[in-house]
Amino acid sequence: MVTVNDHCNGCGVCVPYCPVGALSVDAGRKRAVVDGSLCTDCYVCIRHACARKALEPGPLPEFIDVFRHLLSDPTETMAETGVPGRGTEESKTNDVTGRVRRGEFGLCIDMGRPGIGVRLRDVDRVSRAVVAAGLRLEPPQVSPLGMVVEDPETGRLRQDVLDQHLLSIIIEGKAPLDRLEPVLQALREVESRVDTVFSVGLVMRADEGLSPRLREVLDRLGIPYPFRAKVNVGLGRPLAEG
Amino acid sequence: MTHSLHRIGDRRFMDEDFVWLAYQAKGINDDDFPRKAREVLEAAEEAGCTNWGDVKAGCVLDLDPAQIKAGLGQTSRIRGVFTSRQQVVSFLRLLREKDVGLSLVVSGLLDEVLAACDEAGVKPHTINFSLGVWGRKELLPSPQVLAITTMCGHHMIASRLVEKTIEDVRRGKVKPAAAARRLARMCPCGIFNHERAARLLEAFAAEAEAPQPAAGTGAGAD
Repeated sequence: MVTVNDHCNGCGVCVPYCPVGALSVDAGRKRAVVDGSLCTDCYVCIRHACARKALEPGPLPEFIDVFRHLLSDPTETMAETGVPGRGTEESKTNDVTGRVRRGEFGLCIDMGRPGIGVRLRDVDRVSRAVVAAGLRLEPPQVSPLGMVVEDPETGRLRQDVLDQHLLSIIIEGKAPLDRLEPVLQALREVESRVDTVFSVGLVMRADEGLSPRLREVLDRLGIPYPFRAKVNVGLGRPLAEG
Repeated sequence: MTHSLHRIGDRRFMDEDFVWLAYQAKGINDDDFPRKAREVLEAAEEAGCTNWGDVKAGCVLDLDPAQIKAGLGQTSRIRGVFTSRQQVVSFLRLLREKDVGLSLVVSGLLDEVLAACDEAGVKPHTINFSLGVWGRKELLPSPQVLAITTMCGHHMIASRLVEKTIEDVRRGKVKPAAAARRLARMCPCGIFNHERAARLLEAFAAEAEAPQPAAGTGAGAD
């Protein structure tokens, strides 16, 4: 977690900068305090919040400490995926990777966002629910989550990391289109059992997009039609077919 | 990463908000990436992009554009934001002509983005649809705060900082445009729409005297 050095005078300017509310001031000691159970090592406070340079990175001794930092700080790059921060490539390079093909859908469940944060215990809960419904998780080479998935066949995470708190992490996977309704239904059922929020992105090939079939599924599940989207405009080369 | 997809909360001026991302795919078309990226950035600037950045360095509201371009490396990620559909159309036309070969993504209101693609003569390949926010939505801040915080999809901009900024604008301690640029500098990707943020901050500050929706309702967070 972030540490506070002796330059701190307890002014409190840093407090509102923390995305997860991990900073406070001990008025008696006139010093900022970092709640280690909440700090995600995103380093926003270090970069922006203190003109006196009183906040600095703490040690990251274990794999999971480094993992937490990499997932929470977008200026870092995950060596396994080659993608900065918690990111995955999902639809963004699908015109050249062809990862999500016609007849399939991709799902990006952005756990903890917007701005609430997430314990890996809740990620484990959602991951197991959607995998049981038919979603195949992306491997560690594509998705950082894969590095803490113990069993891809069940979506179960390593049990020793479940208390870790991250700014966010994406559960990413894909499946044949006939599994879309069961997967979204599983998501509907598990959403009341998590102690955070999550944002859901549905990846489809453009020519299979908001089809009548998709609208029927959304209608049955009571999910409003999407009004925002991220469109891969097909300018990547070489263009993936299929 | 879905950091440009889920811009939620207060929807005002959302039709003036288009994020673009240009990506290399590892092992497929990432050869000579810095040169390709510079070509994309030239097109973005020509089309009128006023905020863009490389997440490894920062955004042009914080750094000299030439410095960012000179520092581009193989793992850089370039992104930016446009404030009109016509800018998007110009950008797409320029990139279609240049045929740089990087994947290009545009995020925004679905109808607006598809119309821009149609006008520019490009054929969308894949679409990531936002199905909104699920789970304990009562934990979310107000729609006003979300409208600002979600413009940095990595959530480098905290809810409490936005609340404080709105109050600072209301009290006349800072002008909306200056406050928006200050927030934008915290988003290293360069996708924070500081022009929309300035208009929102001005509107929210003006409304602050009126009764506000209760914090935590998450209303509009769809």
